[in-house]
Amino acid sequence: MIGLGRYFKLIRMLFKFALMRQMAYRAHFFLMITGKVVRMALLLFFFQAIFLKVDRLGAWNYDQVLLLFATFHLVDYLMSITFQRNLAFRLPQRIQTGELDTRMVLPVNLLFMVSLEELDLMDFFSSIPAVAFLVYVLDRIGFAFSWGQALAYLTLMANAILFLFSVVLIISATSFWTVQSHGVSRVFDNLMKIGRYPLDIFEGFWKVVFAYLLPLVLIAQVPSQALLANLTPGFAAFGCLVTLGFLVFALFLWKRGLENYMSASS
Amino acid sequence: MEEGTRELHVGKLVRREATDAMKAITVEDLTKQYWFFEKEAGFAGSVRALFSGKKVFVDAVRGIGMDVHVGETVGFIGPNGAGKTTTLKMLSGILHPTAGWVEVMGHVPSRREKNFLKGIALITGQRNRLFWDLPAEEYFEFCRVVYEIDEGLYRRNREALVELAEIGDILKVPQRKLSFGQRKRCELAAALLHDPTVIFLDEPTNAMDLLSARRVRRFIREMGSEGRRTIILTSHIMADIEEVCDRLIIINRGQIVYDGGTRELNQGNGITKRIRIVFGGPWERDLVEGLGKILEADDEEVLLEVESERSVEVASRLFAALPVKDISIAEPPMERIIESLYLKGEP
Repeated sequence: MIGLGRYFKLIRMLFKFALMRQMAYRAHFFLMITGKVVRMALLLFFFQAIFLKVDRLGAWNYDQVLLLFATFHLVDYLMSITFQRNLAFRLPQRIQTGELDTRMVLPVNLLFMVSLEELDLMDFFSSIPAVAFLVYVLDRIGFAFSWGQALAYLTLMANAILFLFSVVLIISATSFWTVQSHGVSRVFDNLMKIGRYPLDIFEGFWKVVFAYLLPLVLIAQVPSQALLANLTPGFAAFGCLVTLGFLVFALFLWKRGLENYMSASS
Repeated sequence: MEEGTRELHVGKLVRREATDAMKAITVEDLTKQYWFFEKEAGFAGSVRALFSGKKVFVDAVRGIGMDVHVGETVGFIGPNGAGKTTTLKMLSGILHPTAGWVEVMGHVPSRREKNFLKGIALITGQRNRLFWDLPAEEYFEFCRVVYEIDEGLYRRNREALVELAEIGDILKVPQRKLSFGQRKRCELAAALLHDPTVIFLDEPTNAMDLLSARRVRRFIREMGSEGRRTIILTSHIMADIEEVCDRLIIINRGQIVYDGGTRELNQGNGITKRIRIVFGGPWERDLVEGLGKILEADDEEVLLEVESERSVEVASRLFAALPVKDISIAEPPMERIIESLYLKGEP
């Protein structure tokens, strides 16, 4: 028994703590949400500007790119609400300062704790306009609801989250050896952004890299294709297998990292 | 398996040994080696280290051994960098030993099993464990869920600990608004809510003002007084140890140089204390010289060195025979105690 009930209680508690923290800085809270929505709108203008010059980006028309865009942002929000800041920023810091020690002596799964300790409710609220935007885009592309496609979309979105979790964990776990808290997470941020463009904009070598070696297409393109009904089951299965591979490697690195953990001196 | 024995598994290694219900901690040949890349000073040195960094190994703990029994309060002391915190981190499962054997309540700490972690507490003077923006009472609730503390036990422990740590009036104040000492007392209480049987305290009074340090020492003494808890306390402050511990382990350069009673340490180990005497009138040099070694002297003041165990007797003889206006006895610094142990040749 791993005591799932206790973990649900813990998530509820961490959610409450996050809310209490955010409320302590209310002005900051509303300012940040506005900032996030404006940032999303600016990106949308960027795409609009491109489509003033061209009709299509590879095989993707304007509405389809909007779907890709909405999906990317939803995945991005889900990630930032949960593990992104915790793993990409806090974990390397905690390794560097030795603060990880106090988490290591708690009788809960350490990876659970370090991944979800500080939930980001700011992004929880900013994701609401993103959901509304997705509904609007679905209407624009004339999506006829089917359980199969909706389920495939959600499953592949979960796959995208798990894939990103693994990539972030791999990058952050290197801090056990490098003991550096700066820069590591920036690498990830920049890589992640590639996922919001259709793969068709890349050529040759990079196309192979982002489709197969470091398949950033899994983040938004693959789930979107499931909704557009132009995803082959083979590629969907490949996407899930790749995620599994990344996850296994990430967990291996995490375990080795903990064995190698030197803790900062007091 | 024979009765009264047990098997312990670590990787492929299997050990069978007699069980000793009273043994809380067993340490044998415990070693921890750290490594880092050597870097020359300056920017050029940093660039060179990127390509040809020399790996340097440091032995933080070198083959130490000890047994600690249930109910003991052990002071684990030594100068900075002696290896005491590293040992404590291996005992609490944070660090993996490079070599040797550690067992705490029948568990191998580095496996960090749930039952092991539920039975211990680690309290450090340096690191902050509470959620910075939230009041302590929220962290208490968090501990209740994490440690799966039964509601009744939680209420009882919470009440007792809040009273003992004297934090009743600050429970609802966000941690960032508390003083260092208040925060540490909240942490102590939080760390003990689940009623751990083995408690590791790493320099708990570090950077505290005198009053807070005294409160914390009283708290620890109370904790240990029930006889069912095992407490290991690291410190480089002698007062912490003398007030709280019955047994003392001194570690220096990764090796144990003394393991024995706290009171016995001062006896027969050549350790000296310094007595500063301020006289209210003329004083006889011969009489003072007969009691110890004069280190400094002028018309009104003398600094006298005496064997540690004679310090109280010397002070009272001085009071009786001379016009003493003021007197103070200084504890020997840790470095001098360790030096004395080495000089004695049989640490």
